Amino acid sequence: MNKDRGDFESVLFTQAMDEHLSSLRYASMIQRALMPDTSFLSGILKDHFIFYSPKDYVSGDFYYAYQNAGYTIIAAGDCTGHGVPGALLSILGISFLNEILQVRVVPRANRILNRMREKVMGALDQRGQEYEQKDSIDIALCVYEPFRSVIQYAGANRPLVMVSDGALKEIKPDKMPIGVAPLEEVSFTNHRIDVKEGDRFYMFSDGFPDQFGEETNKKFKIKNFRKLISYVSGWSMDKQKAHFENTFIEWKGSSSQVDDVLVMGFEI
Amino acid sequence: MKLKAFRIENFRSVADTGMQNISPDNITCLIGQNESGKTSILESLKVFSSGIISEDVLRSDLSLPRVTCRFEVAEGFLDDRLRNVNDSFDKLAGSLNEITLVRSWKADLKSQMEIGGELRDYINDLDSKRKKDLGETEKKIRDFCSLLNEKRIGKETLSASLKEISTKIDSHPARGGTLNIFKKKGSVVKDKEDNTLEELKKAYNSLKEQSEKINSFLNSNDVLIGAIEEWSETIDMLDQTETKLEEISGRLEERHQTMTLLSGPSIDDLSRGEWEKVLNEFSVAVSRKEELGSEKDLKTLYCGYILEGVDEESARQKLDSAGEKRQLEYTTRELGELLSKDCPHFEIFEDFGSLLPNRIDLEDIIADNRSVEGYKAARNFLTIAELDYTFFQQPSSRILKQKIENLNSKLTLDFQDFWQQYVGKHNKIRINFELDHYSTTHGDKAGKPYLEFWVKDEGERLYPKQRSRGVRWFLSFYLELMAASKNEKKHLVLLVDEPGVSLHARAQEDVLKVFEDIKENIQVIYTTHSPHLVDINKLHRVLAVQRDDVENHRSTTVILDAARLGDASPDTLSPLQSIMGNPVGNQEFSVDKYNIIVNNVGTFYMMNAAMKLTGYKGKIHFIPSTDSSSIPLMCNILMGWGMKFAVLLFYNDDELEAARKLRDIVFTDKPGDEENIVVMPEEFKNAEDLLSTLDFKNLILKSREGITISNSEYVSINDLPRNFLLSKFLSDVKLKEVRREDLDEESKENLMLLVNILQKFN
Repeated sequence: MNKDRGDFESVLFTQAMDEHLSSLRYASMIQRALMPDTSFLSGILKDHFIFYSPKDYVSGDFYYAYQNAGYTIIAAGDCTGHGVPGALLSILGISFLNEILQVRVVPRANRILNRMREKVMGALDQRGQEYEQKDSIDIALCVYEPFRSVIQYAGANRPLVMVSDGALKEIKPDKMPIGVAPLEEVSFTNHRIDVKEGDRFYMFSDGFPDQFGEETNKKFKIKNFRKLISYVSGWSMDKQKAHFENTFIEWKGSSSQVDDVLVMGFEI
Repeated sequence: MKLKAFRIENFRSVADTGMQNISPDNITCLIGQNESGKTSILESLKVFSSGIISEDVLRSDLSLPRVTCRFEVAEGFLDDRLRNVNDSFDKLAGSLNEITLVRSWKADLKSQMEIGGELRDYINDLDSKRKKDLGETEKKIRDFCSLLNEKRIGKETLSASLKEISTKIDSHPARGGTLNIFKKKGSVVKDKEDNTLEELKKAYNSLKEQSEKINSFLNSNDVLIGAIEEWSETIDMLDQTETKLEEISGRLEERHQTMTLLSGPSIDDLSRGEWEKVLNEFSVAVSRKEELGSEKDLKTLYCGYILEGVDEESARQKLDSAGEKRQLEYTTRELGELLSKDCPHFEIFEDFGSLLPNRIDLEDIIADNRSVEGYKAARNFLTIAELDYTFFQQPSSRILKQKIENLNSKLTLDFQDFWQQYVGKHNKIRINFELDHYSTTHGDKAGKPYLEFWVKDEGERLYPKQRSRGVRWFLSFYLELMAASKNEKKHLVLLVDEPGVSLHARAQEDVLKVFEDIKENIQVIYTTHSPHLVDINKLHRVLAVQRDDVENHRSTTVILDAARLGDASPDTLSPLQSIMGNPVGNQEFSVDKYNIIVNNVGTFYMMNAAMKLTGYKGKIHFIPSTDSSSIPLMCNILMGWGMKFAVLLFYNDDELEAARKLRDIVFTDKPGDEENIVVMPEEFKNAEDLLSTLDFKNLILKSREGITISNSEYVSINDLPRNFLLSKFLSDVKLKEVRREDLDEESKENLMLLVNILQKFN
């Protein structure tokens, strides 16, 4: 009798799990559908690659691209947490970027982030109180103005790495998230970078640099990540992606993935 | 010392106002309905200064009042006044540019002044530490007392046992103490008896030894034991005093209850003399309690030293040295009393309290005879004229009369600077005084000098008492304030309850001018219901006073500062709304500048703030309309007067409609005229949209809530008091609390866009 009952519960549990996994797989498809596909990115960028590896089915990392009135906007975001909560916040982030960019707006990278922060704070009812949720998004956002050969960059805790003529340069982000700041919200900084054809740019979440290695039990670290970019930056984008992927898999080995991973490279 | 903020607790309808900043430019205006608690606020500030209250200020729960005032002090102020205590205290005192004083009342309605703020925290921290140390010592003393008790009980038990054994030994057969029937004992019996005696002796010796140890313990601790006995006596006395104090407090509370509820001394069941006795007993008990408290602390300390093994003489020396150190330190009360000597004097202006007499004897002024009618006003008058009695000792009456005439002209001119009202169409009143001598018909006074006062206009020469109530009030007010501003060596905070209620609207504005004139020397806090006594460009001066529950007059009083005026009830804000409805009344058109008409007073504030922030020096002058429907009318007036003007409109439905009307109706004559209609780009739906959302939140709303719509939509959807918010913003800009460098690049860019648009009117 008891054995039968145990079997029955086990069957129910397995069924429930299957349903959950099926839902998550479907959610993952929806999340992917909200992010720009390769053909769209190929249309607006000279070349690019995306290495996107969620820790779970759905991811707190997201990438974004938009083109309007001659401006190209590209962003890579990393929401607090991972899995379902991170994914929901990433969907909010994507929607907010769409809302901001679809209305007439002066395309300044920092103003886009300022507006996005208002929206996140509004949606999560953040007012700088102690007890409230501190969920937020870290993001690097570029506005490419091809007619001026300028890239504007603004960052919320996420940097932009640029490789020009083989030299790597990192543009530091503002140390505050898209969400309530620890003390007070101030305007993000707008960096204007003169660019030329063939310059390559990299935006990434902290998943790759923070990944623990199987052999060393230490993080990959941002320093090594920069070296990796420098090493591969002259290669074709496809080859770069493959190398990032292989390096990550090799480094991680059999240890578990600690966070969602996103590395985005593009050439103008 | 300048008053910066106040807090009132438990005073009539006021439960707790919280700390309220007063206006930094020395004029603070309290607005609110009748019974809202405005006068209570003035009275509570007055009693902060005097310390005198009666039962009728107590709240029904009989909580005792407390008034806290924060003052700004000059650099080095505390260094000059305080003795050196220790490095940390001296450093703290030297670094302060503000001090807080707290006056609180006890059950006998007597008050004490204490220091508040950081200095109080410092002293309290020291006290807490000291109390903790004393507490630990007290615990050790009590532990010792327990040990002492044990020893004493042990000693008693031992004495009893010793006595018992001693008796047994004495009567033991082996000692031949009992009747020996047999001449000779058998050896077995004898041995047995000997053994028992030996055991008894051993036991005796052992007990004796223990007893001696206890004695030795008691003897070696005799100093400590003596000290502890004294300590215990003090504690007993302290307990008794506290019980007595509680009992008297209870009786006082009952009396307050009766007096508050029924009012009037007739219901008092104790004669005045008996009450005096009760109050005196309370006062004695309070002092005794403090005295015993200090005594107990000293005795605890002394016992502690002895317990630590310090000898008697050294312990006394240590106690003396601790006492000296303690003597050097300030108590909160000592510091409060010391610093309150420098704090401003708070004075309530009493209507007609200094009304000029028709005539006053010079002798009474010289003799300082305050009981004579009109003395105060005459004295004030002479103070303003900067005269003392030696002036009247001028031997030549011709020269004296000439001097008096000159002075009258000067005083009249000074007075007319403030009192700008006319009698009839053209005549202004003049104040005059004359020196004369009593005639022989005045008996004893014959030949003695007197001063006579007149308030004249061209038609009439009337004594002050014959003038209208309004003139008398203003004259009294003028004399009092001007004299105070010349007189006071100490800073004065003048409290004025509803000034100028009997004055014409224009004359009420003259009252404001007097406040402006004296504000460098005198801080003014006044209550009003009149829109003419509120300067709309200085809303930071306004504190709104209302009941916590506006429907319930028994609820407590709350104060809302300028930033929170939006939370005030419409009735509270009525004086302000009266002005808001008529902003143009105070705004003159400019003939030598380009008049830029804007939709309303909120936009007018924002435009002026924008000009200040950008440092724009163009020859433009903003004029607020009452709303968009009035703009065409204003344009017609300005056009009729031949003045240069333009209309600046924002991109909202009302203003776009106004733009259309202006094109259709007003600017139809000459082509190119319509260039004088400027409509801001689409993203600027209203003037507040000139700021980025972030700056709008940080600098105007002072809130961190995420705003996902335009600033103007946010104001409209949330029904925020736009005019108040933008007025406060302008005031912050004027006070340089908001500067250009505080703006982010988006706001700066928007303001420069506005400046570029306005350039064409230069």
